[in-house]
Amino acid sequence: MKFLISLAFKNLTRYKRRTLITAGAIAFGLMMYIFIDSMLAGAEIESVRNLKWFETASARILNDEYWENRFQKPLDLSISNPDRIIQTLENNGIRATKRIVFSGDLILNADDFGEDGNLAATITAIDPVRDFRVFGFGTTLIEGRFLEPGEDAVLLGSWFAEDIGAEVGYWITFVTRGNGGFYEAMDLEVVGILNCPNPNVNRALLMMPISTADEYLDMDGAVTEINVALPDNADVPMEVERIQEMLNGDNLTVMSWEAMAVDYLALAEAKRGGTSTILFLIFIIAAVGISNTMLMAIFERIRELGMMRSLGMSDTKIRLAFMIEAAGIGIIGSAMGIVLGILANLYLVNVGIDYGFLLRDMDIGYRLQAIFRGVWNPGTMIKAFFIGVIISTLVAWFPTKRALKMDIPACLRHQ
Amino acid sequence: MKNRLLIVMTILTVLAPSLLSALTGEEIVRKADDMQIFETSEATGEMIIKDRFGTKVSTFNSWSRGSEESLIEFTSRAERGQKVLRTEDELYLFYPDAEELIRMQGSMLRQSMLGSDVSYEDMTGGKDRVSQYDVELLGEENVKGHDCYVLMMTANVRTVPYPKEKVWIDKETFLGWKAEYYTKSGRLLKEIEILKVEDFDGRLVATETRISDKMKTDTETIMILHDLKIDIPIDDNMFSLEELSW
Amino acid sequence: MNTKLIKTALRNISRNKRRSILSGTAIAVAAMSIVALFSLIEGMTDDMAFNLKTYYTGEVRVKHIDYETYERYNPMHLTVDWESVDRALGDEKTVSTYVPRITFPSNLYIGGSNFGAMGVGADFELEADFQDLASSLKAGRLPQNGTNEMMMGAILARDLKLKIGDRVTVMSTTAARGTNAITLEIVGLFAFPVGALNSKYFWIPLDRAQYFLRMDGGVQEVLIKLKDDVTSRGAAPGIKAAVENIAGTEMDIRPWEELSTTYGMLKMAQMIYNFIAMFFFLLGSTVIINTTMMVIFERMREIGTLGALGMHGKELIRLFFFEGTIISMIGSAVGVAIGIGLTLWLGEIGIDYTDALSGMDFEMSAIVFPKLSVAKTVFVYFYSVAIASAATFIPSRHAAKIEPVDALRYV
Repeated sequence: MKFLISLAFKNLTRYKRRTLITAGAIAFGLMMYIFIDSMLAGAEIESVRNLKWFETASARILNDEYWENRFQKPLDLSISNPDRIIQTLENNGIRATKRIVFSGDLILNADDFGEDGNLAATITAIDPVRDFRVFGFGTTLIEGRFLEPGEDAVLLGSWFAEDIGAEVGYWITFVTRGNGGFYEAMDLEVVGILNCPNPNVNRALLMMPISTADEYLDMDGAVTEINVALPDNADVPMEVERIQEMLNGDNLTVMSWEAMAVDYLALAEAKRGGTSTILFLIFIIAAVGISNTMLMAIFERIRELGMMRSLGMSDTKIRLAFMIEAAGIGIIGSAMGIVLGILANLYLVNVGIDYGFLLRDMDIGYRLQAIFRGVWNPGTMIKAFFIGVIISTLVAWFPTKRALKMDIPACLRHQ
Repeated sequence: MKNRLLIVMTILTVLAPSLLSALTGEEIVRKADDMQIFETSEATGEMIIKDRFGTKVSTFNSWSRGSEESLIEFTSRAERGQKVLRTEDELYLFYPDAEELIRMQGSMLRQSMLGSDVSYEDMTGGKDRVSQYDVELLGEENVKGHDCYVLMMTANVRTVPYPKEKVWIDKETFLGWKAEYYTKSGRLLKEIEILKVEDFDGRLVATETRISDKMKTDTETIMILHDLKIDIPIDDNMFSLEELSW
Repeated sequence: MNTKLIKTALRNISRNKRRSILSGTAIAVAAMSIVALFSLIEGMTDDMAFNLKTYYTGEVRVKHIDYETYERYNPMHLTVDWESVDRALGDEKTVSTYVPRITFPSNLYIGGSNFGAMGVGADFELEADFQDLASSLKAGRLPQNGTNEMMMGAILARDLKLKIGDRVTVMSTTAARGTNAITLEIVGLFAFPVGALNSKYFWIPLDRAQYFLRMDGGVQEVLIKLKDDVTSRGAAPGIKAAVENIAGTEMDIRPWEELSTTYGMLKMAQMIYNFIAMFFFLLGSTVIINTTMMVIFERMREIGTLGALGMHGKELIRLFFFEGTIISMIGSAVGVAIGIGLTLWLGEIGIDYTDALSGMDFEMSAIVFPKLSVAKTVFVYFYSVAIASAATFIPSRHAAKIEPVDALRYV
């Protein structure tokens, strides 16, 4: 056995070029596979992250009846004692923040915007201190500054700002109905513009300090939702249950992000099917590339095989020798492939492919940033490695078997 | 129940009292109230709506009984046969081509009526206006030649659409000539102004009123009543749901 | 000289069938996958274009000149006069078919609550020439012009728990800038190949929409499909002139490519697809290059023999080039042929993406029929041949340079 291994090793090093080309085929196939897998998985993970960081948080506490009526954004279906709940949550080591979400008419003034106009919009009132502990807006500021508690100010998503032609320093008027139904109008200064990586948010985002909104809307400290951040590795359903228990009897419901984004997740699930089709096609091409090169390498050596047989080496040993050699090429190729894959992935993970300008006006379902980023997926790499080695080894088996059936002179004459 | 007919009957049946019968001090309240007690009323009218796309005119017939029941039937071509029924508790819309009555509730009430400056909600509120608003006499002012009390009414509940109303009530006739609606912070939302009145045995009733939604650009609605008759006999079933779909 | 080389090349190829087949299949598989992928992309973009043209914009769209400016305010009163547009389009030589449409946001009043939905007023007789409505009908029948009937997107009906025979009251803003409501009976459920249409839309007869929305003879838009031999950009100005001449007013008449959002979406989808195609190309090319190189390096000893027999470097290169070219021509041909076959087969039965696309606001059909693009297929063929042939240069040049003695020793 040791002999066979050393023979295989010698062969590998002796025929460097062949080894390299065959291994190269494997390496390239693997690299492509890893790269595309990383890209697709990246898109998926990124969009889930964008969903949690900018839309749903990990879980949300709502009034029992709110979810059913969420499209009306009712202020009366609220949580009356948010601070106590947040305190309870924080005592249990859970980060939480309160928000008031309300809709109304945004009035654009000709003084700033050049033309009078109004459009329906939704404002999210946030706790300027706590919100960043739960949501990911902290790093999204591209112009101006963040909100300060109690000021009459608003932050806009960059696409929204662009749509209405708003700039930092402009004033907007927002007309809405306060808690109970009374008219309220607020003048808010645009103090900052956020470039939120979640296109759905970036296209419609208006944010103001919750204390200001509380006063305008007469909420008496009530809020429409409390958002909760859980660690990435948390067991969300269990945590949701635990939070639900903490709230017992308050007519409040805790919803996990999965429950809130159920449509989106169904879509993602379905997309995974499409993704695997692409990966499968990639795999086929790569596999054909690998096996063809490998087949060729073996067939070209039938003469050599005949030589070994004529010298009295047993068929089993010959077969083993060839397969070990093939496995060796597979290992080299797969290792190279993984190294190349990692290198390509380094770029994909750290820099990414920017194509955001194209996403500007559309909803493609994926909640992605302008940048397609990869992720590290060790599982795929390990899987790819083994598949690379196994395919090479298996592919060596057939021609060897066939050659071993031929008589020795035929082998020796073989071209 | 005390029956009052509002100055702008029909469409503004209830909106108007929230403006014009504003009370401050027992005297003004009582007198303004007295001025507006009508058993019933009937009128034809038109609504001239101006917005960013131009001007359009809708005509209607209207009936009212007391302060809480009213019926408007539109007669202009674009909305012929459409009816708006206000009963004590509800607001219903009848469309000739629809097989069911549409009961306006919740956020549906916030829609504007026929694209005018008047919302359905404007027609329903104001039932217990005195209990919903604190009234303060600010002083006196002359409005188009009429000496008026200026009153500021501040809502003490959240369920009224307009947190603040400023009204000008004639010192002599106790007619509200003008009203302005504000947000709590004092931003002007709507403006109502009486342009023409008719004298019924010493009682003045507005027959032409301008309403302007200040949150929209360049819009105003002018309501004109013709052939206004008051305290006439009206079919008892006029304001029932069954009658609505005839 | 060259014929002799080609003969030698052919002999070499047929002598070592297995090797030829191996390198040929590599090329074939690569060519096939690329052809198949291109066809799939072509099918998808074509389908998107078809859906955009059929359901949203037509190839050329006629609208009121100010409609887009005020779109935000739902300007139902900004209509075009159907009679005069009809008259103008009837005489236009570039026009194949055209339909009037009215799309109106509305509320469905069900059980005391309002549900938002989009209505479409369409002339079901004219639509028959414009699109295959019958095949989109999932249950029931099409509404009849002149009756208070509607057909509803199957998903919308499911969401609202409505079925055929139910009567629904629709409320909407009219062209008179008032409101109106009408009760219509659901007579059919449709499933258009576009998910969004099925979850948000209902269709009613155009004349009922005109009556209900108080549009008189006006319609919101006219969608035009053109004859095959004209382009939308080419035909639009002529149509615009003709329509405006008869109607006597300026109108917004533009080819669908200029109706930015829709066409941009198509462009973006194309880009994403091309991105994926690029990877296939890259991978396919590597497989081809690799196999070809392998073949030549494996034949170093043969090269030595040929060299010893006096074949010059350039001739050697040419010989291998011919060999590679012939193999790749055959391989590509086979691959492209299989790709075409696969495409035609899938083009018949279609690939069902229904699950993957539900809930997506994307103008792509749930079932995609791959479509062969002749130009692209030809391109793939020559590309594969070129890559394979070019790939022979590297090793054969190397081979040509080494001394016959070294080549003979080469392992």
